[in-house]
Amino acid sequence: MISIHNIAKRYRTDEVETTALNGLSLEVKPGEFVAIMGPSGCGKSTLLNILGLLDEADGGQFLLDGIDVSRYNENRRAELRMEKIGFVFQNFNLIDELTVYENVELPLLYNGIKAGERKKRVEYVLDKVQIMHRRNHYPTQLSGGQQQRVAVARAVINQPAIILADEPTGNLDSQNGNEVMQLLTELNESGTTIVMVTHSEHDARFSHRIVRMLDGQTVAESVLV
Amino acid sequence: MIKNYLKIALRGLAKHRSSSLINILGLSVGMAVALLIGLWINYEYAYDRFLPDYDRVYRLKRHYTLDRVYTSNAISLPLVDLFKNDIPGIQYAAEADWGGSAHSLVVGDKKLYLEGTFVGADFLKIFQFPVIRGNAETALSSPNTIILTASTAEALFGEVNPVGQSIRFDNQQLLTVSGIVEDPPANSTLQFHYLIPFTFMAQNMDYVRQACTDWGMNGFTLFVRLAPQISYEEIAPKIENLLTQNSPKTRDTKQKLSMQAMQNWHLYGKYENGKAVGGYIEYIRIFGLIGFLVLLIACINFINLATARSSHRAKEVGVRKAIGSKRKHLIFQFLTESFFLTSCSFGIALLMVYLALIPFNSLLGSQITMPFRSPSFWLIMVAYISITALIAGSRPAFYLSSFNAVQVLKGALRGERSAVMGRKILIVLQFSCSVALIISTFVIYRQLQHVKDRPTGYDQNRLIMSDWSEDISRNYQALSDELLKSGLIESVARSSSSATNITFFSNIDDWAGKQPGSLSLEVAAITISSSYFETLGMQIKSGRNFRDQLESDANSIILNEAAVEKLNLKEPVGQTITWFENQPATIVGVVENAILGSPFRPVEPTVFTPKGFYASILYRLAPQVKTQEALTQLAPIFERYNPSYPFEYEFVDQAYAQKFQLEVIISKLSGLFAALAIFVSCLGLFGLAAYLAEQRRKEIGIRKILGASAAQIWVLLSRDFLLLVLISCLAAIPIAVYFLENWLEQYNYRITMSPWIFLIASTLAILIAVITVSLQTIRAGKTPPVKSLRTD
Ligand SMILES: Nc1ncnc2c1ncn2[C@@H]1O[C@H](COP(=O)(O)OP(=O)(O)OP(=O)(O)O)[C@@H](O)[C@H]1O
Ligand SMILES: [Mg+2]
Repeated sequence: MISIHNIAKRYRTDEVETTALNGLSLEVKPGEFVAIMGPSGCGKSTLLNILGLLDEADGGQFLLDGIDVSRYNENRRAELRMEKIGFVFQNFNLIDELTVYENVELPLLYNGIKAGERKKRVEYVLDKVQIMHRRNHYPTQLSGGQQQRVAVARAVINQPAIILADEPTGNLDSQNGNEVMQLLTELNESGTTIVMVTHSEHDARFSHRIVRMLDGQTVAESVLV
Repeated sequence: MIKNYLKIALRGLAKHRSSSLINILGLSVGMAVALLIGLWINYEYAYDRFLPDYDRVYRLKRHYTLDRVYTSNAISLPLVDLFKNDIPGIQYAAEADWGGSAHSLVVGDKKLYLEGTFVGADFLKIFQFPVIRGNAETALSSPNTIILTASTAEALFGEVNPVGQSIRFDNQQLLTVSGIVEDPPANSTLQFHYLIPFTFMAQNMDYVRQACTDWGMNGFTLFVRLAPQISYEEIAPKIENLLTQNSPKTRDTKQKLSMQAMQNWHLYGKYENGKAVGGYIEYIRIFGLIGFLVLLIACINFINLATARSSHRAKEVGVRKAIGSKRKHLIFQFLTESFFLTSCSFGIALLMVYLALIPFNSLLGSQITMPFRSPSFWLIMVAYISITALIAGSRPAFYLSSFNAVQVLKGALRGERSAVMGRKILIVLQFSCSVALIISTFVIYRQLQHVKDRPTGYDQNRLIMSDWSEDISRNYQALSDELLKSGLIESVARSSSSATNITFFSNIDDWAGKQPGSLSLEVAAITISSSYFETLGMQIKSGRNFRDQLESDANSIILNEAAVEKLNLKEPVGQTITWFENQPATIVGVVENAILGSPFRPVEPTVFTPKGFYASILYRLAPQVKTQEALTQLAPIFERYNPSYPFEYEFVDQAYAQKFQLEVIISKLSGLFAALAIFVSCLGLFGLAAYLAEQRRKEIGIRKILGASAAQIWVLLSRDFLLLVLISCLAAIPIAVYFLENWLEQYNYRITMSPWIFLIASTLAILIAVITVSLQTIRAGKTPPVKSLRTD
């Protein structure tokens, strides 16, 4: 599914150059649930953004479904994001001016799905994340846990092959966090590949495999199942 | 998808209500100003283009060289036959009198005193004014006939069919109505209430009969219609030298002929060196530019507020990109928003213009309407909205859509610095335009006042003038005696020019001390009665007035000081000069200068003579009488001695004020547009200041906790803006100076631009900007710091 080899990423500001990723390699198989852990600043988010085609690596190889995507331009990346990838962020990133329903519907609009089909699919996923009763609320009217469930619903609405989650429980209490982890697990069980960054050992145990990073490199792996 | 875009746009508008309001209001005003000016420009361009085949119609121009090349519409009558018969490519030619002379028309007890024109037989074939009754082919063919406009016919005959009826003309001849044409519209250069065959003029007026064979009597005008498929370029060489070929007299002044197409009469009236170089078109260009600038200022508000608020939209951009939106989708989304906002503003602008048209038309004396029913109008309006939406929306769209998803989702907004710089440049652009307009308003106003305050050299108070007529000519002595006897009038005079218009010019060809080979002096020539100077209140400087008995003064003239100065005469009184077709005349007196023509020009060198024709009767009300009462009592006296004319009069001060009409309009319009420009600019400043104060709320709170006073906060938040406005003032001055120097150049009598004007205009702009910004920053300075820090 995902295969990256010797990926490098450097940030240049006026004074300093930071190496965020330093020749990192990683394989993720279809249907796998991988957790990425490591100290703050070690490059986890950077890695996830590159995997999600939101950011470009400075060097190395990136195969997605066996296709080299490291040289894709922004338009083709956008297409791939729409088709294959769903994002879940630590701070939810819902659009405040849109209701729950409209937020979840948005990816379908970009995908050009017909109205009837949209309604069916949005209602289906809202039901699944148990937020149907709040469909006409705005994000600011929801609790953090509810918002994150909406974000998960939005991430899966296009039925992506991969979900990338960056500290999805970071802003939630343990109860809400567990509900979100439950959702991710269910998604994984129905076949979606998941790569999740987390600081929580508890959350990491929901995954199949934990990859540990330090200074832009993987340093250890532990397989849980 | 568009529904989703509009939903987001609408909710964003509702959420940021005040800045949305500022955006829409500013854009509405900008669009209204540009639309109004656009409609006006369209109206002016449509001038004289309402007649069929207007592009084949021309008017003859005569160029003659004295100290420079002068251009005139006035031509002599022998040319007419040449144009009618000898020049291939000319389909019709019709002579006409000068136009604009008023005559009396009497039917039963209905008396009208209206302006009309004497025109050659083919006039209606050249100008195809719609003929309502009668036959266009023959209506002008026999001399004692008259064609009325619809409104004149209505006024004289009411419902009765006037064709075949008689009208008493100037209480002398009977004319038969031969046709009715529609009234010329307001945007027609030719204006008349009736048309009379030129043959009538030639039969009944001695000077016209004379003029028919005199190459030197240039008192007429000639209209021409080219044959189809003939271009003016083919005709031009054939007519250029017709005068010098046929009339040796015209060689001295190198007279040449050319023609001007009808569509250019209105806009390109100014000739220099024998070429049309502009005229009214210059105002069209200037106001077109102003309209565009006010619109641009409004668009800049939109751009600045949109980029300033970009952090609000950044997250949305990031999310949309993460979901898979391409950049072009985002650009399209933001352009849709600006199109939507622009459409709303356009709706309001349409309403504003609709309401403004009434006062605008009455100010300009125009008949501009909104062509609601014309599909092409709506097509142009769609283009107008789209272009405005593009100007306003492009930069925000490209800027916002360029955000890097990773960065904005992390909450860090990069590239702010370039956005801030862009914003500053745009603010400077806005205020430079506004300040330049303010300066212009001041200068135009000062110039107007300057000319209005110019001493006229005679007393306009209670001075009245009426037009001359045959009857007045016959009864002048009795009329004048009775006016004086009534006690209403303190003094009466007659003259060949009204007090505000010089209609006749001649040359002084020889005088004592004239350098051999130097040119004749062109002078205004005014025939007056001996009471003229007393009636107008002009002082005789040396020598004497004319005597009451004309015979003893037949060859005497009086010069004004301007003429004496031009002739460089040391002891003028008693000297003899030669003028007006080689007549000798003796200078008996010198009178002080008075503005009897244009107040914008130097006083014309003038010869006053007791010999000639009359065109005006001038009289001054006695000081103690009430004006209205006096006029009602004067009417029957005039009607007794001038029975076929209604009593019509004009106050000299009002007629004089008419001369500033264009300048008054220009000054009002520039004032209005300057006010709107600064208003819209400040609207933007207001929104921006609010936004930036909001953005720096936390910083302000912290500064206050550290001990900053409200005044210090005010300085902190205001000084950037003030610096920008200051820069704008400096930038505006050279722009304004450039345009105003050009404008002032057309006036001989004009102000010089003093630095005070720039200082005052700049101070005003800065003051307005300070107040605008302070409305926001003082509030930020006063907010208790706890409040600022609590959220976030
Ligand atoms: N836009 C940027 N410009 C400069 N340096 C950056 C930028 N983004 C990230 N970095 C640096 O790259 C390194 C990796 O950052 P990254 O955000 O991937 O860390 P992280 O592992 O996700 O940390 P955390 O657990 O705190 O989220 C850090 O040292 C960070 O300072
Ligand atoms: Mg991170």
